[in-house]
Parts: sequence; C-alpha cells; structure tokens
Amino acid sequence: MLDVGTKSVYTTGEVAQICKVSQQTVIRCFDSGRLKGFRVPGSRFRRIPRDSLISFMKANQIPMDQLDSGRKRVLVVDDDEAIVEMFTELLERDGRFEVRTASTGYDAGILTEQFLPDVMLLDFKLPDINGTAVCRTIRANPKHEHIKIIAISGVADPDEVDELHMAGADEFIRKPFDINKVINRVADLVNAA
Amino acid sequence: MTGGVRTVPARLQSSRERVELILSQLDRLPTLPAVAARLLSVTTSNESCARDVVDIVESDPSLTAAVLNMVRRADLGASGQINTVQRAVTALGFRAVRNAVLSVHVYSALPHADASGNERQASARRELWKHSLAVACTADMLAERMNGFEAKDQAFVCGLLHDVGKIALDACLPKSAARVFARVDADRECICDAERELFGLDHTVAGKHLVTRWQLPETITESVWFHHQDPQALPSSVTSPQLVRLIHLADNVVREQRIGFSGYQHVADIKACAEALKIKHTAVDDVVEGLPARMEPLCALVGLDEFISQAIYTESLSKANRELGIVNSELAESQRVLELRARCFEALKQFTECLTVRAGIADVCTAAAGCVQAALDADGAVGFVCDATSRCMYVGRSGPSDTGGPSASIIEVGDKENRDVLGAAVAVVLERKIGEAPQGCELIWRRCMDLPAPGPIWMLSFAKTDAMVGAVLFVVGDDVVARWRGAELECHALSSAFERAVSSAQLRVESERMNEELLDLNRRLSTAQRALVRGRSISMIAEMAAGAAHELNNPMSVISGRAQMAMATSEDAELTQTLKLVKDKAHEASQIVTDLMHFAKPRAARPLTRELGKLLESCCQRWQARFALEQGRLTRTVDDPQATVCADPDQLQEILDAVVTNAVEACDPESLRLQVNSRSRESDETVRIVIEDNGAGMSPEVLEHAFDPFFSSRPAGRGRGLGLSRAYRLAEINGGCLWLESTLNVGTTVIIELPAHAPIS
Repeated sequence: MLDVGTKSVYTTGEVAQICKVSQQTVIRCFDSGRLKGFRVPGSRFRRIPRDSLISFMKANQIPMDQLDSGRKRVLVVDDDEAIVEMFTELLERDGRFEVRTASTGYDAGILTEQFLPDVMLLDFKLPDINGTAVCRTIRANPKHEHIKIIAISGVADPDEVDELHMAGADEFIRKPFDINKVINRVADLVNAA
Repeated sequence: MTGGVRTVPARLQSSRERVELILSQLDRLPTLPAVAARLLSVTTSNESCARDVVDIVESDPSLTAAVLNMVRRADLGASGQINTVQRAVTALGFRAVRNAVLSVHVYSALPHADASGNERQASARRELWKHSLAVACTADMLAERMNGFEAKDQAFVCGLLHDVGKIALDACLPKSAARVFARVDADRECICDAERELFGLDHTVAGKHLVTRWQLPETITESVWFHHQDPQALPSSVTSPQLVRLIHLADNVVREQRIGFSGYQHVADIKACAEALKIKHTAVDDVVEGLPARMEPLCALVGLDEFISQAIYTESLSKANRELGIVNSELAESQRVLELRARCFEALKQFTECLTVRAGIADVCTAAAGCVQAALDADGAVGFVCDATSRCMYVGRSGPSDTGGPSASIIEVGDKENRDVLGAAVAVVLERKIGEAPQGCELIWRRCMDLPAPGPIWMLSFAKTDAMVGAVLFVVGDDVVARWRGAELECHALSSAFERAVSSAQLRVESERMNEELLDLNRRLSTAQRALVRGRSISMIAEMAAGAAHELNNPMSVISGRAQMAMATSEDAELTQTLKLVKDKAHEASQIVTDLMHFAKPRAARPLTRELGKLLESCCQRWQARFALEQGRLTRTVDDPQATVCADPDQLQEILDAVVTNAVEACDPESLRLQVNSRSRESDETVRIVIEDNGAGMSPEVLEHAFDPFFSSRPAGRGRGLGLSRAYRLAEINGGCLWLESTLNVGTTVIIELPAHAPIS
C-alpha cells in the first residue's frame, strides 16, 4: 500500500483513496473551496496539503485510520545526535510510534507544522533558542493545542522547570533517565489526548 | 656690666649723632692742670721720690697751705713743728701727700659744686665726689693689704678717677645727667642702662674717652672703662687686671657703706671679689673701719669737710635704715609668695610623679585631688571631670587616711538633665581660680567621700569647655583660701597642669579606643574578605557546575539509556548486572554535579515563621526513625516554648538533616549521645539551634575545612562532603549563620542561628 499517511501533499486521487470517496467528489470539494489546496503552477493539477486534508476530514467526520496508519507521531528535538539516535531507536523499536527528529528550535518549528506530531520530546538547551521559547511558540498556535510536550533537561533548575510549565510543557524529565519511564510517559500522554 | 662693649639697641640708632656730640664736648673739657699732670707722671714712676713731690707742691702756694693744713688736721703731734712741705711729707708719708695733691687738682679741674647748678644738682655732685674719694681711699688701703701687688701706687688715682665719666657727662649735659640721677634714684635702675638710654653711651665709655684724651696711663683708662665689668670676665687685653678688680672691689665696698652716691648700681658679692684678689675679709672690714679717718683730711682739702665724720654715718645709716625697712617688707612679701610657690611646685612635682603613662582620667582626678590637698594643706579633696560625650563622671579623691585614702572611680551621672545642671553650676566658677563650689558639688563630694563635707567646699576649676568640665573640690581653712585667692599664677599653674594631664589621658583613652576599633575593623575586614573570596569561588562553582551539569548529563543519559536498552535485550545475567552498574554510576555521577550546582546556587529561600519547639519535635521523631536510634540517644531541650524561627521550611529541614546525619555518622552508634537545644537570643531577634554530639570531634585542621565543598574526613568515596557546606549555604540564604565548635575525641557542637521573626519590611 502506498504510504499515504506520511505524505505532506496529496493528489485528488490519493485524497479520494484516503477518504474513501470518488475522485470527482474530491475535485468538487476542492473547486468549491471546502477542501483547501493549490494548483501546480503552469498546469491544472490540484494538490492538497496534509493539514488542510486533516482539517477537511475532521470537519466532515471522515475516519482518519487511512491517514495516520495507527501509529502516534513523536518529534524528538535535541542537538545531541547520540540522544536523538537513542530515542529514535527506542521509540521505533517499540512499534507504536512514528518518529521524526530535529536538532534546532527552528527545525522543530518547521517539523511541527509539517509533521503535526502528537508528542514532542524537547531538550531544554538547544543551540539557537531554549526549550521554553519553543514551547511558547507552539502553544501560540491553537492548531497545535493537542501536541503533548515533554521537556527534557540535564539541569533541573526549579525556576527553569516552573518556567517550562508556564510556557506550556506537559512534563519534565531530567537527564539521565529511566528509558521505560520515558516510554510509558509518552504512551500515557498520547492515550490521554 | 659695662656699656663699652655693648652695641646700641636699634631704637637708639638715631642717637649715634648724640654720642658724637657728647664726645666732641668732652674734648672741650679743661685738661688737668699742669701740676696735676706732672704729679701723675711722678707718682706712676717708681723712681719718684719725695723731693719731686715736694718741689711740685712748693711750686703752688695754695697747695702748700692745703698740705700743711692737712697735716694739722691729721693731728700728728706737734703740728706747729711741721711747717714745711718737706716735713709734712716726712710726717704724713709720701703717698698721703701725693694723694692729697691729686685730689685737689682733679677736683678743681673738673666741675664740682659751684653756683651754676641748683641745690639738688650740687648735692648730687658732692655725693659723687665723696664716692670717688672714698673709692680712692678704699682702693689705696686695700692695695696696702695685698701681698706682692705691684701697682699699689696707682690704686688711689684709679679709684679717684674711676667715675670720671659721670662727672664728664654731668659737665657736658648737666640737665640730662640730673635726669639720669633722678631716674636711677627713683626706679632703682642701673645707672649704666639709664645713661645708655638717655645719652647713647654710659659713663665708663665717656670716662675712657676723657682719660685717653688727658693722656693718662693705660692702667687708669682700664679702671675707668672696666670697673663695672664682672671681675671674672675681663677682656684678655687688659694689662693690669688686678688693678681693675681692685677698683671694682673698692667701688662695691663704698657702695655697700653708702658713702656718697654715684647712682644706683647693683652691689656685687664683696666677699667673692675680695677672695679673688686674695684679700681677707677681715682686711676689708679693717679698711672700712679706717676709711672715715683716711677720708676726712681729703674731704677737708676739697671742701667737702662738712659731711665728714659722724654726720656722714648718721645720714647714711638713717637712709640705709629706711631702705632696709622697704626691702624687709618687700622680702616678707616675696617670701610669702615664694613659700606658696614652693608648695605649689612641690605639689605639682608629686602630681607629675604619681601620673603614669597609663593613667586614666579618673587617675588624673585622684592625682589632682592629691596635688591640691598637698598644696593647700586641705582636709580632703575630690577631683572630677564631667565629659559631655560620655554619660559618666570621672572622680578621684584624696582624703585623710581614715576615709580610705586616695581612690579613683567612675560614677554614672544618669540622665542628661543632671549633667546639664552640674555643668552649668561648674561653669559659674571663674576659670582657673579658687572660688566657692556651686551647690551641685556637695553631691559629688558626698558620693566620693561617703561623708558630708566637714566645712564649706571650695573649688579650683581646671577645665571649662563645651566638651568637658573639670574641677577639684576641697575643704580648707579660710586663711588658706584668702592667701591662695591672690595667687593667680599658682592657681593657673595647678589648673593648667591638671587640664593638660586630663587631655592627655583623654587622648590616650581615645587613641586606645580607636586602636581597638581599628583592630575590630581589621578583624571584620579579614572576615569579609574571606567571605568575599568564598562567595566568589562559590559563584564560580555555581556557574561551572551548571555548565557541567548540562554538558555531562547528555553523555550520561546516553550511557544510562544505552545500558538500559542493552539490559532489556540481554539474556546474560552477569551482563545485565554490569549494565545496571553502568546505569547506576551514570546516575550517581550526574547527581554529584547536580548537588554541586544546588550547593552553589540554591533556590531562593521562601521563609515562613514556625514554632521552633514543634518543628524540632517532629524532626527528632523523624531522625529517631531514620537512624534507628535507641531511646535516650537523642535528647531535646527547648528553653522557650514560645520561640519561633523564620526560615524556608524545606531548607531548614535540609540544614538540620545534614547536620544530624553528619553527627550520627561521626559517632560510634554504641555510645552516641545527641543533644538538640533551642535557645532564644538576646533581644529575641534570633534563635539558636544547637546540635551537640559526642563523636570523634575534629582537629583544628579539619575544622578549618569543614565547610569546604567535597571536603570529607571520611575515607574517600564515602559521602560526598557536601552536607555541611550546603547547610552552611542554606543557613546563609535564610539570613542566619552556622558554625562549629569541636574538640578532637570529645565531640562537635553545631550552632545554627536563624532569625526568629520575619523581617519587618
């Protein structure tokens, strides 16, 4: 099966397949403006971004199982490659998660828009901006309200922890950590959503 | 004293011309008659013989008559038989004749009592001539009594002419000379000084000029010039010092005898002068006795005979008596003054002696009281100093031995009002004088002596400034007070000595106080410096630890995470065990860094005021459980159940836990005795929690490092050594402090001092 669940831009045919309707219906919806999208420049081909597809599906109560393939999306943000690698391996091995990674706050912002993660494992100390700022930026967009954020830091300064919570972090875990505890927390938060 | 070598004071510079004028006038004085000049040259020659003198005398008929008359008056037997000069010379002796002739000629050559002056001046001139004749005779007679004196022949001439300067000045400036005489007579001023002031030169200089002009021998010039000079201090150029000294002696003998008057001059010590010339004092007395007899014929010769014999003595005696009376009363007065002064001096000496370098203000008061008691012969004395800056009064007493003798003390004066009243009362009294003590002083007396004053209290104040009032109170008879009231100088001497002693004592006390303050400041400075260094290193540690925590915890979490992942898949039990160790150690390492960071940078305190008693009770229960302490190992006392402590509850607990953990670990569990006491501190602003153990204690070296992070006296690897340092830090950020007292093998006491209440903001 085509891995449509992870794509970021869809054709009308793919949308018809995901939504289990005819392509004509999709085209009609696109043309009427109920399904947001764009045309490929210099042609008449319609293209639908993932987030507008999700919005459309939610608005029309279309089951999402075809889109998310049942796995929860986790975005790991850390500038330490070894950590990122370890988390990726850990979460993927578990099987319940789909993992994307970012090493800067900037990348984290972009991936949040594209990947629409369910959970973000966010290192507090990033090369460009700190975890608090990332939290705040994500929370500023109501579209991302559902994202669970687990802040992770090598230093548990009580004031900083407080600040993180204020900025919208759901959980704080100090490095080094018990891996089972982390997996369980991630799973718990996803299921609670 | 001579004017010849003295420079003219600046104010007399203008009188230089005057001196020139006088000297030129001297030149106009008549020269000695030729007869006298010849006679002088004859007498000064050793080869002179009676014949020459006879020739000279016989060449002058009036002189011949005079000599024969003199012989008659001398009553030398059958006067009728002596009718020639030759026989007179034989009868009287060559020198007597010569002296007589000289006297006549010098007298007639110089102005004397003639009609030109008024009676007073004439009298003064007669007196002066009498003086000159007397000196001449005295010198002549003394010279006879000097063994081996070569210039015997010249003694008479030199004596006769020694005051020729006075006669010369009188001749030139009669009015001024009269003024000089009147002035020295009235003021007892030295005639030389008066002459120098009025004429610009004195009679010794004027006389020297005259005698030089007359071309008289050098010996005469010297006598004229130096006869007022101290005989011991003659210039070395003097050719016949003995002669000059002889004239000096004769002059003084005559002055003492008050024969004639030549203007006031201090009478030198005749005895000393005579001894210097090897003349016995009895010889001087003999001369004085024989003087009238010797003078009489000469006085008759020059027409001064009416003053001779008894009359001269009666007159001089009564005059001397009058002066003696004045002098006596003056002496009595000065003796009284001197007696007082001597007492004062003696008392001051005692005062200075009994003041040591370390004497305080109260000691000075005691010494001052003793000094006044000694000086005034007082029944008792109290010295006091009231210092405006301090709230006390320094007192010292000196009393009869039955009152306990001298003592010094400091009395609390109490409220300011009291001091002001006292200060005002003291201020009334005249400064540095003796006066009646103001009323407040009765109180001081009674407090010092424990007895009421036996009479009216007098006071000598010695300090009266805005900052300080000081005085000596004493009880003494009225007669003493009367005597001392006039003695301003003595009162002043005493009071200024007291004042100086008090101020120097004050300065010393002040400098000592400043010294102590400086020491204290130094101590505080070094403490602050240590704290600063400590604070600086702590903040460096904080920064480093925070950085290290971030940097270390990433690899630590990878190590730990990977180990855990490996554990999950491992089938091998041994490997799993190893992996677990890896994980645990990684976490421990991470914890060390975290602890260090927390030590260096604890979170801000959130203080709450709690009841200290209850808090300690719950703590003790917890420790009992945690360390499984047997009953009685841990005792707790609370001195004030109401006492509160204001601190961050979590941090306070951490402090106490750290201290108690340390104590328990330092003790042998078999013999552990732990005491927890709480004490309210003075003014209730702070409370102390004292935790005492009977453990191993600490050596001074260990004690010194007890608060250093990671310092541990336990073997390396056991315990992290952050407990006490963290407790110290936490006490600090809660506005308190924590310190240790420890003795090796006896135990350690930890004192935690914390605020009792929340600060009032």
